[in-house]
Amino acid sequence: MQAEVEETLKRIQSHKGVMGTMVVNAEGIPIRTTLDNSTTVQYAGLLHQLTMKAKSTVRDIDPQNDLTFLRIRSKKHEIMVAPDKEYLLIVIQNPCE
Amino acid sequence: MATRAQPGPFRPAGSAGAEALATGGAASAGGPGRPGPLQDETLGVASVPSQWRGVQGIRRETKSCQTASIATAEASVQTRKHADAEVQTEVPAPVGARTVAQHDSPRLAAFLRRVEAMVIRELNKNWQSHAFDGFEVNWTEQQPTVTCLHTLGYPPAQGQGLHVTSVSWNTTGSVVACAYGRLDDGDWSTLKSFVCAWNLDRRGLNPQQPSAVVEVPSAVMCLAFHPTQPSHVAGGLYSGEVLVWDVSHPEDPLLWRTGLTDDTHTDPVYQVLWLPEPRHSHRFQVLSVATDGKVLLWQGGGAGQLQLTEGFALVVQQLPRNTKLKKPPRGETEVGATAVAFSGFDPSLFVLGTEGGFPLKCSLAAEEAALTRMPSSVPLRAPARFTFSPHGGPIYSVSCSPFHRNLFLSAGTDGHIHLYSMLQAQPLASLQLSHKYLFAVRWSPVRPLVFAAASGEGDVQLFDLRKSSQKPTVSIKQTQDDSPVYCLEFNRQQTQLLAAGDAKGTVKVWQLSTEFTEQGPREAEDLEQLAAEVAT
Repeated sequence: MQAEVEETLKRIQSHKGVMGTMVVNAEGIPIRTTLDNSTTVQYAGLLHQLTMKAKSTVRDIDPQNDLTFLRIRSKKHEIMVAPDKEYLLIVIQNPCE
Repeated sequence: MATRAQPGPFRPAGSAGAEALATGGAASAGGPGRPGPLQDETLGVASVPSQWRGVQGIRRETKSCQTASIATAEASVQTRKHADAEVQTEVPAPVGARTVAQHDSPRLAAFLRRVEAMVIRELNKNWQSHAFDGFEVNWTEQQPTVTCLHTLGYPPAQGQGLHVTSVSWNTTGSVVACAYGRLDDGDWSTLKSFVCAWNLDRRGLNPQQPSAVVEVPSAVMCLAFHPTQPSHVAGGLYSGEVLVWDVSHPEDPLLWRTGLTDDTHTDPVYQVLWLPEPRHSHRFQVLSVATDGKVLLWQGGGAGQLQLTEGFALVVQQLPRNTKLKKPPRGETEVGATAVAFSGFDPSLFVLGTEGGFPLKCSLAAEEAALTRMPSSVPLRAPARFTFSPHGGPIYSVSCSPFHRNLFLSAGTDGHIHLYSMLQAQPLASLQLSHKYLFAVRWSPVRPLVFAAASGEGDVQLFDLRKSSQKPTVSIKQTQDDSPVYCLEFNRQQTQLLAAGDAKGTVKVWQLSTEFTEQGPREAEDLEQLAAEVAT
């Protein structure tokens, strides 16, 4: 079990351009991360709130719909969030320019 | 008229009595039945007794009450066993240090299995996508050109032909101060000079009238605002003194001075800086650098006196020999320092620019004693660790990059700018900007690849190493008659402002175009690449 988790995260982390990967639980507390502590805590808190807001926005527009994926593109990189009932997977990628 | 009282006896009042009284009065008036003249009569009192009310008396009754007696009993208690316990609050564990236990591993694995495929697909798509090529969003209004916002000057100083020797922005970014002096005097001058400050955020700013003016007995060569106190400014004089003023008190601005003691510099002070104290990082000391070869650290003591806390002296014999330097003329042992810059990444590392044209890498933590016979109350140490290869003339300015720990720039009288890496003696790049002297060079605080230089030909040149590494991206003409620009400083709070002072005694505040204030993507990586071109 443990090995599978680590392997999957390593696969994602070694993808082209990925700068950091983290897994956050339903309360916004980071569980696994490849970045340093302070950055991880900052990303976890902010993105957890944003994901909840995005999810409620989608549900408000159409109650039958639900959030599957969230992408934020900024000048320097792209943040991808895969939400779930219990966890959030956050990946930060630097796409080629 | 006579009033006749009724002669009859008082009868007890009754209804009959009232009648008698009433008729009696009329009957007695006059004789045998003839109505008599009107006369006044007073009659008796008529009263009507109450039929229902008897004599009112007070009815009394005595009652008493008494609380019943209280039952009391005595008993005694004694602890027989006791135990000691201590209570102590613990420092709360930082939130970031929490990692969740391993017991939810199977659920975590299941979650990752579910999302992995989708995430990998998106990562791949992103890597190959051209959807955002050339797409740029502008959140702020774009400023296409560089404009001059303010032209500030102090007429009495300009009338004396004084030059602006140094400018400094304060910690809030709203006040710019300039120091007046002369940079071309060869010998001792007794010129009075000024330090002027303008508050740019104030309404009704008069460019010819500074919000604060301090008169100084000698020419001021350099200025530095305090990093946290918005009104304290330190200045170094031509006479070698270092003074600290408070520009918010115009009547009595002088806070501290070094005075002319054995410790003071014997040559003009070319640069002052504020440094955090090693133990109390909210208090600051002043570092001063002069051409007598001394680098001194001062602390504000009592009675307005700056006390020397640490000192360094540069002596030719103690310079590191990793670079071949010209032999100095006989008798000269001091190495005059003309500029200093601290690295933002390592608080004890600093770079000195010297009169000999070679930058020196120095450390505050140096232990070796300096071989100098200069008198000093504090033992002077030799700070130099590494010597870089020289310019063709004295260095006037050095600046360490705020984005890369190893890069710094130096500008000298040979009109060249050298980009050095701390790791090697030869410069990484050497750019000729001017055929005259270069007086100041500063890295931009927001764009890793941009720096500005002040030239003796009267212009401020802005370099963007991303666009071109040979010629300046923008060259701003500050003075009309090509008189030199002596100093420039970026505003760290309002990053689009750049102040530059020239030989005509004016300070111009330039507003930079957006291309100089907004970081492009990958700039930090490009800077890294530049720094990595260290010759092996």
